Amino acid sequence: MPAESTVRPPTPTGAAADPIVDARAVRDYLARARRIVTRHAAYLTRLDAVLGDGDHGDNLVIGFRAVEAILDELPPDTRPGELLQAVGHRLVAAVGGASGPLYGTAFIEAGFRAGDADTLDPTILSDMLAVAADGLGRRGRCAVGDKTILDALRPAADAFARVVGAGGSPAQAVIAAELAARDGMRSTRALVARRGLALRLGERSAGHLDPGAVSCFLLVRALALR
Amino acid sequence: MTDVVGHVPASEEEIARLRGRIDRLETESRRAFDDAQREADALFAQYQLSQLLASGGSLGELATAVVMELVRLSGAEAGAIWLGERGWAVLTRAAWVGPGADARSPAQLGGLDAARSWSASDERCTGLVLDEEPPTFLAVWASDAQPLDTEGLRVAQLARHELGVAFAGARLREALERERHDLAAIVDSATDLILQVDEERRVLRLNPAGETLLGASLLEAAGRTCAEVLGCDVAGGHREADCPLAEVLASGAPIAYRETALRGRQGDAVWVAGSYTWSVGEAADGFAGGARTATAILRDINAVRALEQLREGFVATVSHELRTPLALIRGYADTLLHLELDAATERSYVERIHQVTDRLAALVTQILDVTRLDADPLVLERAPASFAALVARLRGDLALTGEDGRLVVDVPADLPPVEVDSGRIGQVLENVVANALKYAPDETPVVIGAAVEGDWLVATVDDDGIGIPEAERRLVLEPFHRAGNVRESRIPGTGLGLYICRRLIEAHGGELRIADRPDGRPGTRISFSLPLLPNRGRAVGGEAEPRSAGSGRPPESVGG
Repeated sequence: MPAESTVRPPTPTGAAADPIVDARAVRDYLARARRIVTRHAAYLTRLDAVLGDGDHGDNLVIGFRAVEAILDELPPDTRPGELLQAVGHRLVAAVGGASGPLYGTAFIEAGFRAGDADTLDPTILSDMLAVAADGLGRRGRCAVGDKTILDALRPAADAFARVVGAGGSPAQAVIAAELAARDGMRSTRALVARRGLALRLGERSAGHLDPGAVSCFLLVRALALR
Repeated sequence: MTDVVGHVPASEEEIARLRGRIDRLETESRRAFDDAQREADALFAQYQLSQLLASGGSLGELATAVVMELVRLSGAEAGAIWLGERGWAVLTRAAWVGPGADARSPAQLGGLDAARSWSASDERCTGLVLDEEPPTFLAVWASDAQPLDTEGLRVAQLARHELGVAFAGARLREALERERHDLAAIVDSATDLILQVDEERRVLRLNPAGETLLGASLLEAAGRTCAEVLGCDVAGGHREADCPLAEVLASGAPIAYRETALRGRQGDAVWVAGSYTWSVGEAADGFAGGARTATAILRDINAVRALEQLREGFVATVSHELRTPLALIRGYADTLLHLELDAATERSYVERIHQVTDRLAALVTQILDVTRLDADPLVLERAPASFAALVARLRGDLALTGEDGRLVVDVPADLPPVEVDSGRIGQVLENVVANALKYAPDETPVVIGAAVEGDWLVATVDDDGIGIPEAERRLVLEPFHRAGNVRESRIPGTGLGLYICRRLIEAHGGELRIADRPDGRPGTRISFSLPLLPNRGRAVGGEAEPRSAGSGRPPESVGG
C-alpha cells in the first residue's frame, strides 16, 4: 500500500524551479513507474485475485520490464512523444490481460499529443493526461464509476488541468493529480463493477478496491516522486 | 514533394493542385487512422468479451455478465438474454440488466421466430440470435439519448460462436455438477460402506457410512492400501492373498456376494457382506482406457449373524423342549398299549400324559408368543388403562384356582392412568405373578405394588422365593435361560416367560428389572415401568398427546 506520509501538500508558492520535462525526465518517470509497480506487484495481484484472474501485478511487472528494454534500444535523442508511443505499443504487446491494451492506449495517446516537441510544457502535459484518459475510456468503453483504471485516471487528469488552468506550477499540478487519483482509487471500493472480469461477481464485487485503479494511482504517484 | 517544389518554379495552378492532393492525402490518412482506431477498439472489445466468456462461472453468472457486457458494448440502456434447451422451442429469460428491463422482457419466448417478431415489434429493441441450437437470444434497448453503437453490435455478432460455446460450456458444467452432486448424494447417503481402490489397492474413496464403520476418515484412509484400512486379515475375514478387491482387479469378473470381516472402529471384527466390482477410469485424454479401479459395497451383518445364531440356538432349544414331553407321552402311551396294568396305575399314567400335554400346550403357546414378538413391528393396541383394574382382573382369574389368597395388593388408590396395550400388560402381570407364586413356598404372600416416577408408573412384584442369583439376572431375561437354582428345584418351566415379559415392556418403552427385595428379606422383586397417559389431568379415554422428549426415558433405577 502506498505510504501516505510521503504525500506532500501543495505549497502556495509552487516549487522554486520546476524541472524541464524533456526526454530525460520521461525516461526517469518510466524508471520510477517500473520501480513502484514492482514494489507493489504482490498487492496488486492479491487484489486482482478477488475481482479478476489474479495476474495484474505480475502482468505490469512484465510490461515495465519490457518497457525498460525498449527504452535502452531507442536512441538517446528520441523525443518524449516518440518514447511514449513506443512504450505504449510495447505495453500492448507485452502485457497479458486487459491492462496492457488499456495502459498502452493511454501512453500512445499521450505520445500523440506530445507530438515532436522536445520539452513538454504544463499545457501539453495537461492535455496529454486528458487524452490518455479519453483514449483509455474509449478503448475500454468505460466511464468513471465503472470500477476501472479510469476511476483514478480521470480525476487525476482533471485535477492536473485545473491547477494548470489556474496558473499553478506542474509540481503543484502533479501533487493535486496524485491526491485526486488516490481519492478516485479509494472510491472504487464501494462500486459494483460494470466492466471486465469482475462483472461475473455482480454485487459481490463491491467492497474490494479495483486493482486497475490502484495501479493507476501508483503510476500517477510516480509522476510526483523524484 | 520538396523535390518538386525545390526544382520547378510552381505556378498558382500547380500549387492549388498540390494543395488539393495534400488535403486528400491528409483526409485519407486520417480516415485510415480512424479505421485503425476503430478496428483496435473492436479487437479490444472482442478480447475483453472472450476473456469474460472464458472465465467460467455458473450459467446465471455468465448470462448476467454477458448481458451487462453487451449492453455496454452496444451503448444500450437495457438488455436481456433468453436461453433454451436443446430440442425444446421455448426460451427462458436467464438475465436482464438496465432500467425497465424486467418489465420489457417477457419471462419466456415461444421459440426463436417468436423472439424475432417480438423484438421487431418494439422499435427501440434490437434482437440478436446468438445461437440456433440450443436457442439463445439477446435483446438490447437503445436509450432516448443515443442510438445503438453499431460497432459494439458488430462485436457481439462476431462473437456469436464464442457466446454459443461459452453458454454450452456453462450448461454442460451445470449439468455435470448436478449429476456429480446427485451421484455423490447417493454415495454419501448410502448406509452401506462404499470403498474404491486403484490398481495397487490404494484407497481412492470412502463414503461417510464407511468412515463411521471403520472409524477412519477418508483423509486418513486415502492412499493407504485396503489391507491397512479394512484390516480384513486381523479381523479374521480373509487372508491378504484372498483379497476380493485383488481378485476382481485380476480377473475382471465382479463378485456379486461375499462375506468377510473387517476391523471396526473399536478394533473389533465386523462381519460384512456385499459386492465387489471393477471399472475402467477415464484416461487423461478423456477416453476410456485409464487405470482400473475396484469398488466394494459392504453391509454390516454383525446383527444379522447374531440373529441367525440366536435363531439356530432357538430352534435347537425348542426342538429339545418339545421332544422331552413328547418322549414322555410316547413312553406312557407305549406302556399303556403293550402292558396289562392295574386300573390305578393305568389311571395314573393317563393323568401323567394329561399333565405333560398341558405343559406341551403351554410351551407351544409361549413359542408362538416369542415368534410373534420377533415379527417386526410388534403392534401394540395402546389405550388409556388403569393399573388397579389390571390387578383386579388378575385377582379374579386367580380366584378360579383358589390362589388369590396369597396375593397382597398394595397399590395407591389415586394412581394416574397408564397408556398401554392392556392385553399384553395383563399377560406380563400374570406371568410375573405366576412365577412368584410358583417359585415361592406355599402360603407365602406375593405383594403387588405401584408408584409414580416421573412420566412412568413403576409396578413391583415381591415374593419370598429362593431368589435369582445376581450373575443370572441378566441371563434369565433372554430366551430359554433358567436360573441354575430353579433348574435344580425341578419346578417345570420353559425359560421363555421372563423373556416375553421383558420384550413386551420394552415395546412400551419401559424397562423390566430383577432386584433383591428392598426390605432385605430373601426373595425377588421384579419391577417394570409403564408409560403414564400424557397430560394426567385428562379423564381416562381422552385423546393421548405425545410425551415430551425429556421425559421419554424410563427412570434410571426402579425397584431399589
